[in-house]
Amino acid sequence: MARGVDAPLPDDAFGELALAVFRFQARAIAVYGGLVRGRGLDPDDLADWTRIPPVPVRAFRAFDLVAGGPEGCQAVFRTSGTTGGARGGSRRAARGTHHVRDLGLYRASLLPNARAHLNPRGEPLRVVSLIPAPERRPDSSLAFMAGALARAWDERGGVFLADAEWRVSHDAPRRLASMAAEPGPPVLVLGTAFAFVHLLDRMGEEGTPVRLPPLSRVMETGGFKGRSREVSRRELYDGLTAALGVPGSRIVNEYGMTELLSQFWEPVLREGPGAERAGGEGPTGEGPRGQAAPLHDRVLEGPPWVRTRILDPETLEPVDEGGSGLLCHLDLANLWSVSAILTEDLGRHRGSGFQVLGRTPGTEPRGCSLTMEELLEAGGEAGRGEAGRGEGAGGEQARSEAAP
Amino acid sequence: MSTPESGEPTGFRAYHLPPEVPPGSERELPLAGVAGPEAVLRIPTVSNGAAEELFDELEKAGRALRRRTNRELVGLLGEAGARLLDPKDPLRRQAEAWLPAEAGLSGPMARLLLDRMASDWTAEALERLLAEEFPDPAVLEGFRPGPAPDRVRAAGEAAAFHLGAGNVAGVGATSLVRSLLVRSAVLLKPGRGDVVLPCLLARALAEADPEVGRAVAVVYWPGGSDPPLLRTALRRAGRVVVYGGEATARAVRERLPATRPLVVYGHRVSAGAVGRDALGDEATARGVARRAAEAVAAYDQRGCVSPHQVWVEGGGTVTPERFAELVAQALEALRSELPPGPVEAETAARVQQLRGAAEMGAVGTGATGTGAVGTGAAGTGAAAMNAAGGPTHRVLAPEGSVAWTVILEPGDGIEAGCGARLVRIHPLADLGELPGFLAGAADRLQSVAVEGADSRLEEIAEALAALGVTRVTTFGRQAWPAPWWTHDGQGPLRALVRWTTVERPEG
Repeated sequence: MARGVDAPLPDDAFGELALAVFRFQARAIAVYGGLVRGRGLDPDDLADWTRIPPVPVRAFRAFDLVAGGPEGCQAVFRTSGTTGGARGGSRRAARGTHHVRDLGLYRASLLPNARAHLNPRGEPLRVVSLIPAPERRPDSSLAFMAGALARAWDERGGVFLADAEWRVSHDAPRRLASMAAEPGPPVLVLGTAFAFVHLLDRMGEEGTPVRLPPLSRVMETGGFKGRSREVSRRELYDGLTAALGVPGSRIVNEYGMTELLSQFWEPVLREGPGAERAGGEGPTGEGPRGQAAPLHDRVLEGPPWVRTRILDPETLEPVDEGGSGLLCHLDLANLWSVSAILTEDLGRHRGSGFQVLGRTPGTEPRGCSLTMEELLEAGGEAGRGEAGRGEGAGGEQARSEAAP
Repeated sequence: MSTPESGEPTGFRAYHLPPEVPPGSERELPLAGVAGPEAVLRIPTVSNGAAEELFDELEKAGRALRRRTNRELVGLLGEAGARLLDPKDPLRRQAEAWLPAEAGLSGPMARLLLDRMASDWTAEALERLLAEEFPDPAVLEGFRPGPAPDRVRAAGEAAAFHLGAGNVAGVGATSLVRSLLVRSAVLLKPGRGDVVLPCLLARALAEADPEVGRAVAVVYWPGGSDPPLLRTALRRAGRVVVYGGEATARAVRERLPATRPLVVYGHRVSAGAVGRDALGDEATARGVARRAAEAVAAYDQRGCVSPHQVWVEGGGTVTPERFAELVAQALEALRSELPPGPVEAETAARVQQLRGAAEMGAVGTGATGTGAVGTGAAGTGAAAMNAAGGPTHRVLAPEGSVAWTVILEPGDGIEAGCGARLVRIHPLADLGELPGFLAGAADRLQSVAVEGADSRLEEIAEALAALGVTRVTTFGRQAWPAPWWTHDGQGPLRALVRWTTVERPEG
């Protein structure tokens, strides 16, 4: 990780590390060891990292998946609450819980990756966060990330404009306006898609758009699945451009989950017309036709210490080229918990990365008993905190443009 | 797949309107997961004006229905039902051609469903339905003796609006039949997955008797939209029947005047329990397991009557674990006898999550994994199954497939269903514990199958009834309720009528 995200990790090196981590985790975490043994596998005998059995992301609701147990962990991150069963029936923890033994490791994986994608030139920024400060939401891995970025890049420590309930402050438009009026470094606005929708609503009411300084950028995360208010990604980005003066080519989507310490980023600031390069040149200006990559062509990339496979939902075998299936990540940063995780999110490989897909097109949610789940769950809002972090179980990353 | 008459457009006409009402321009909705240009539903665009006209026609037709006798209506409906049972009838052939794709079922399952549903719509069945619901069915035809010296009469409103949930084919058509029997003309908006049968039934009625045909309208529109017809229906229908979840029901209720009759059939799941009296020997237990598996497999488990959890009493010769194996074997057999339809990716994703999580639960027992259970141990020649874990946690499932799943694990309450023929088997110390586990879940429970309780059944049924359970049944009957069942606690026809009394001077 110290080598940063630009130093690729060749497959065999990755494989060796993955297998070593697997052996450690199978021994250190009893229920994981049980899963492994129950499948007739011996961790010492496994030679192919793709055969490491993944843990279903839902298992984080039921078990404390951390080496050495929860005592002595430096942080406990939780997904947002859902009810796991009816009265008399809840054996399962309501919320996915990720016990983090070593926040240093989290920071080590998060910062270089974020920097490469949000701040490639490593310059000072003014950070405005619509994600609550970590002190307000210590159980949110997203809040932790926002805090870490603000501390790393903003000399004044950043400005947090959301409360512990994820409500965006009424003041936010005014604060953004005054920041735009003040000379200073470029602005980075962090927020969930849902928070941005609220911000845009409010700014729409007040009427005056803001013009953030050139080289400002936006990080947007989370999606809209299950929310009553659905806004397409295109609409959201156009709205942000109109309200904040940040072009679509400088709006960076991030995808992550409470259960994974690493994040996935769209490399828009590393390529294309919004691109910046460490080493001091300005944005490269016009891309091949002066256009930003269309939204449906954008992909998410993981750091070298993560491999993402796409598995057929019925057979769990890797899908063919271009096929869609379940996202299955192996994140070495999850050293102290479980690295191999099978999500409930659908996606497909694309270019150098992958895209997250929304609900299978042409299907409507089917009525009757299946939606009992949806009745009992709080609208699929699972997240790193409220409002907007894909936990992988019924994940949040509805990407309406990425239709197969 | 379609059998178009010459000159007719392709796809399935997903609506039925009186001839006077223009359907407007047709749109095409592709059928998910089915290839080919014919695989579309054709749906109408009913304008504001046409919607008003439709309700004018329905109200007129509803008033005309009141002049019909029970015998006439039962005869007509029975005729239509019989057509759907006749393999040579073009209507039956249309149903067999379109039902699988639209309802997401395999051919064999679609045919089973057609046979079972349509046998509920025969003249005999409908006559009995009337008799079971009304001691004097003639109250639907006119005033009859009531509490002396008064006379009473029952009827539905002239025009009703039924909003279907979809997903279980046949529910919408049944709803139409009930409405007509109580003399309510009806607009049905079917749910996706249940569009074909009501359209075909309506067509059959119109062919047999155009006047009665005018009393039925079926119009599909995609969920979440708010077309003129919906608004008109909510304003003008004398009674509204909603099949659906909390959000839908609430939204409808809010848009209706407080005094408007509203019947809600909410989303529910079902469960089962097996007492040790049925676990005394392998053969008996195997029979119960087979029927339980059939109940699970019906409608690919998408019905409110579909069980997702079965509690099994310990202390019998056949243990809960063995019972789980028997259910697994039966589900494996059903996989070829009554194949599942396509499984949605989201559902398969959930199955994988539940399987994996259950596999991890195994460690708590201290037992080590047993590895794969091969055909030898299963003893039936069924395909190899995977089993992981010890005796109180096991996952049984076919390799590389989500066609079915059996999870043996502790359980003390109703959990949300997953579908895809995934059933949880929970060991139970004593059947008497069951009501306690189900307490508080009555508003989500539909049916509870109880077998092997013998002399304890009455007591358990009493306790379940006290909790609010409206149907205690057997596995064999669970998935196929009789037409006169107490649907969510009400008589199906009685829920749709209002009574009028003519009072006479006393003495």
